[in-house]
Amino acid sequence: MPNFNLTLSPAQIEFVLKPGITIIQAYDITNNSDSSIILNTEVLPWIPSGTNGSVNYNQAVSNPNIEFSLNNSNLQLGQPFTLAANSKQQLVLKIKTNSDINLSDNYYTFFVLQDQNTTTTSKDNFSQASGKIGSHLLLTISDTENPKVTSEIQSFSISPKIKDIFFQSITFEGKIKNNSDFFFKTNGKITITKNNQIIKELELNSDNVLNHHSRDIFCTDQTTCKINPPFWPGHYKVTVILDSSLNAKSYETSFYVWPISPLLFIVLVIGIIFGVRKFKSKPIPKV
Amino acid sequence: MNQITKKLFIFLTVLSITYILRPNISFAQTFDSNSYHIDFGNFNMTSGKKSSTNYSLTDTVGQNAPGRYETSGYILKAGFQYLYESGIPLSFEISNTNLNFNSLTPNIGSTVTNTLTISTPTGHGYDILAIANHPLKSLGNTIPDTKCDSGSCSESVSGVWTSNSTYGFGFNANGDGTSSYFTNSTYFRQFADNSSGETAKVLMSEPTRVKDHSALITYKINISPLQAAGTYENSINFIAVPKY
Repeated sequence: MPNFNLTLSPAQIEFVLKPGITIIQAYDITNNSDSSIILNTEVLPWIPSGTNGSVNYNQAVSNPNIEFSLNNSNLQLGQPFTLAANSKQQLVLKIKTNSDINLSDNYYTFFVLQDQNTTTTSKDNFSQASGKIGSHLLLTISDTENPKVTSEIQSFSISPKIKDIFFQSITFEGKIKNNSDFFFKTNGKITITKNNQIIKELELNSDNVLNHHSRDIFCTDQTTCKINPPFWPGHYKVTVILDSSLNAKSYETSFYVWPISPLLFIVLVIGIIFGVRKFKSKPIPKV
Repeated sequence: MNQITKKLFIFLTVLSITYILRPNISFAQTFDSNSYHIDFGNFNMTSGKKSSTNYSLTDTVGQNAPGRYETSGYILKAGFQYLYESGIPLSFEISNTNLNFNSLTPNIGSTVTNTLTISTPTGHGYDILAIANHPLKSLGNTIPDTKCDSGSCSESVSGVWTSNSTYGFGFNANGDGTSSYFTNSTYFRQFADNSSGETAKVLMSEPTRVKDHSALITYKINISPLQAAGTYENSINFIAVPKY
């Protein structure tokens, strides 16, 4: 079996569809290897798994009111096809919704997989590896373009517990929960203030929170939300505000930064001075 | 006479200003069929993908009012450039799909390796999952999945497997995105077994976009002296999906 080296684009699509609507989406599949490959296609439903964007295919059930097919003239969904070495093919996926479909979200993956119906002729002990690459479809079925969503900041924490003015960054972690039937993006910001002066504003990364699930908070460019030292000692206020369209209450908390390292340094210096003076003042015993 | 010249001058001035301020011709385009008429707002001069050694550029020249516009409740991304995925596309490579163990010797572990490499676009991390169709089989005989030296590793939990008296088939993944699943290269795990109703399990995962991140997969078989002779085979499927 030839080596597997595929590119699939786009990696994800997001659509808001009215019931009864049919749409098409073109995918580019590129074979980057030097040998041709026999491929196949399938669409599988999934449900979110955990809070970091992973998916679970095992407990998901297909919605009978959504039909998938390929619009390519020479190809059907589930039909093997050959993609020549270093070449690209466009696959056009047709998504048809019935008019009596429930108004809610539906999550699927469009897979392009290596066809495994190739028999091996090995006379040795042998494992045959094969590959499969998928692109997610987030489909919102709604009568309106912007369906109403409700959300909440499920958890929020600041670390480390003891915050020094030097040496350690202060990290913010949290989860946003989607209480509605439709997914949304984590648009919002974390504002850190001291004495009513804004010290830093951290933009949240625009990640998808799927219906009735939670998602970890990341900051812009999927980085950990944090502020770096040095800090002035004192009381800091942290406010998490989500976009008004997410209908979430803002979250407020606070923390103190202490001058721990300078105090430790002073204590250390005093200790050394005290020790040296004590050592010097000690009379030398006469032999 | 002077009065006529003055009036003529004013008339010509007004005429000139009107000519200068006349509306420009709109370079739009229309398409017609029996059923449809499309007013095409743009008449693009050039577009496409250009690249040099250090830069890659996608452009559309002629787009009217491109950009990101925002007002309360709405975000408008105008322009063909928004059709492009920013950054690199989703790619997945398996370096060697034919994993040949040749002949096996009891109490001596046989290993073969290959490499999984993945790239993801902006905004997406990834998960790579694996599942085997069944354990290594030859007619009615099976090489069991390893339980590692502790006797407790499974398709979800890895464990140390260094002893030559521990038998079975398993794998290790060592590289980007594998540290949550395999502590180091001595840790092995079973493949999920589709024939037993097990489901594909993640072996490599990262939360943010990556470019050419890879992991070395080591497949290991160690058979007991009592293992029936035969040619043992199975197939292993690696599944790469972006994080949503």
